[in-house]
Amino acid sequence: MLRLEGITAGYEGTRVLRDIGLEAKEGMATVLIGPNGAGKSTTLKVINGLLHPTGGRVVFQGNDITKIPAHERAARGIASCPEGRRLFPLLTAEGNLRLGAYSPRGRAAAEETLASVYDLFPRLRERANVKAGRLSGGEQQMVAIGRALMSKPTILVLDEPSLGIAPKLVSEIFEKIQQLRKGGLTVLMVEQNAYQALRIADFGYVMQEGRIVMDGPPDRLLDLEDLRKAYFAIP
Amino acid sequence: MADFVALFLTDLVLGLLLGCVLAVIAHGLNIIWGVAKVVNVAHGEFIMLGAYGAYFLYLYGGFNPLLSVPIDAAIGLVVGMGFYFGFLYRELRGKESMGLQSELVTLVSTFGLSLVIVNIAQSIWEHPVGILWSPGAAQVGPVPVPFGGLYVAVVSVALIALTDLFLTRTYLGNAIRAYTQDIPATQLMGINPTVVAAVGIGMGFSVTMAGGALLTVWLPTGIDPTKIGILYAPISFVIVVLGGPGKMWGSLVGGLTIGLIINVGQLFLGGSIALATAVAVLTLIPILLFRPEGILR
Ligand SMILES: Nc1ncnc2c1ncn2[C@@H]1O[C@H](COP(=O)(O)OP(=O)(O)O)[C@@H](O)[C@H]1O
Ligand SMILES: [Mg+2]
Repeated sequence: MLRLEGITAGYEGTRVLRDIGLEAKEGMATVLIGPNGAGKSTTLKVINGLLHPTGGRVVFQGNDITKIPAHERAARGIASCPEGRRLFPLLTAEGNLRLGAYSPRGRAAAEETLASVYDLFPRLRERANVKAGRLSGGEQQMVAIGRALMSKPTILVLDEPSLGIAPKLVSEIFEKIQQLRKGGLTVLMVEQNAYQALRIADFGYVMQEGRIVMDGPPDRLLDLEDLRKAYFAIP
Repeated sequence: MADFVALFLTDLVLGLLLGCVLAVIAHGLNIIWGVAKVVNVAHGEFIMLGAYGAYFLYLYGGFNPLLSVPIDAAIGLVVGMGFYFGFLYRELRGKESMGLQSELVTLVSTFGLSLVIVNIAQSIWEHPVGILWSPGAAQVGPVPVPFGGLYVAVVSVALIALTDLFLTRTYLGNAIRAYTQDIPATQLMGINPTVVAAVGIGMGFSVTMAGGALLTVWLPTGIDPTKIGILYAPISFVIVVLGGPGKMWGSLVGGLTIGLIINVGQLFLGGSIALATAVAVLTLIPILLFRPEGILR
């Protein structure tokens, strides 16, 4: 479905990613884990088009989309929940959700999708008219996921959905992501919270200092003793 | 005493009517600022061009200023998009937000544009010109209400309401509001930032030039290229800051405030419009000190 091939990328002269290759397979949940600063968010920016790589290719559904601008990638079905959620703080929760349906594929079914987002996160129905800037961290994350779903995406790309939200909400968010993946949505998720992320994953990649250093099915990654020490900070 | 009450009421009504047209000319500046965080120093010159648009439509087509409004608005939309692609696009393209460097570039380039326009205008239009249109007045008790000013006020408020509806009720309008808050996030919604910025700025110029057409009704001494920009650009800036930059109804609140201060104020200042205008501008100080986000919340 979505593949990175030999991606090199960085910011103004500093190279962050070196020869990244990874694939998110259709209907699966793929997880990218690694310590802070490894380059996970940068990888997702290469995927959603906010950062253009200096080398390598981004392939989506068999097409090379490396040179395609971010807004066209979204319109083609790559939906993002970016790092820090990036809601529009002065729009209401529902205003944010509706904007998620901006591209033609989302707009046609906006009302039905909105209803299904409210079914997925009933809390948002109560908070619909609250400005996004006034929502709690957990609610903001729900809006961010819902907003991404409003575009009727083929792949949902999430950057640390557990960051900055109450612990009891974290498992709820992961549950919902699992539910979406069971409903047939392809998911690519970046997480520091490796255990919980790998639990709902079909396949995992481990990143360190801008490289993919390991990959495999989640149970194998969880088994590796040295990996635990290095990346999960668990003795 | 009864005389004073009549004068007071008359100035109150005129102040409100004038406030509406001041609101709409400031509204264009407000939109451009709100959308792109660009301070258009050439704002006054585009008001002037709108006024000339109305004048030539009157001269060659017999249009009254109200009929020129939609035509000026359409021209303004095209001019604004041209302005975006000519002056701002290269500077803003690929930027996640407006930095100090870009702010300076846009300030200097719009200042340059303003000088060019005003100098050309003064060399080809040497004398003030006027539009003869007097639809009369109604006498309401002691207060004469000029129909021209009344129509202009209605159209002004309607224009502000239309822009507000567009920005809050349509996909494109909401995309413009989103753009002002977070450009990269807008792109992730499938929104083309170039289109949104061009439309937003086009809309600002559209309202500015339409405002110029409406203003002609309030210019008894005619359209004077040496005066319009110098007088109405600063008033527009004051109104936008008073009402709250980026808030659509802030333009109306600021405009009415200034209109009232000028008209009612001069009554208490020995009839000096200049002094009253100075007082109106001075209201900026307490606002900036105590409510920098503007009168509207
Ligand atoms: N906008 C940016 N400009 C410059 N350097 C950046 C920027 N964003 C991230 N970096 C750098 O790139 C590296 C990888 O960051 P990031 O992709 O955010 O890592 P992760 O998401 O894995 O924590 C870090 O060294 C970080 O300092
Ligand atoms: Mg990150």
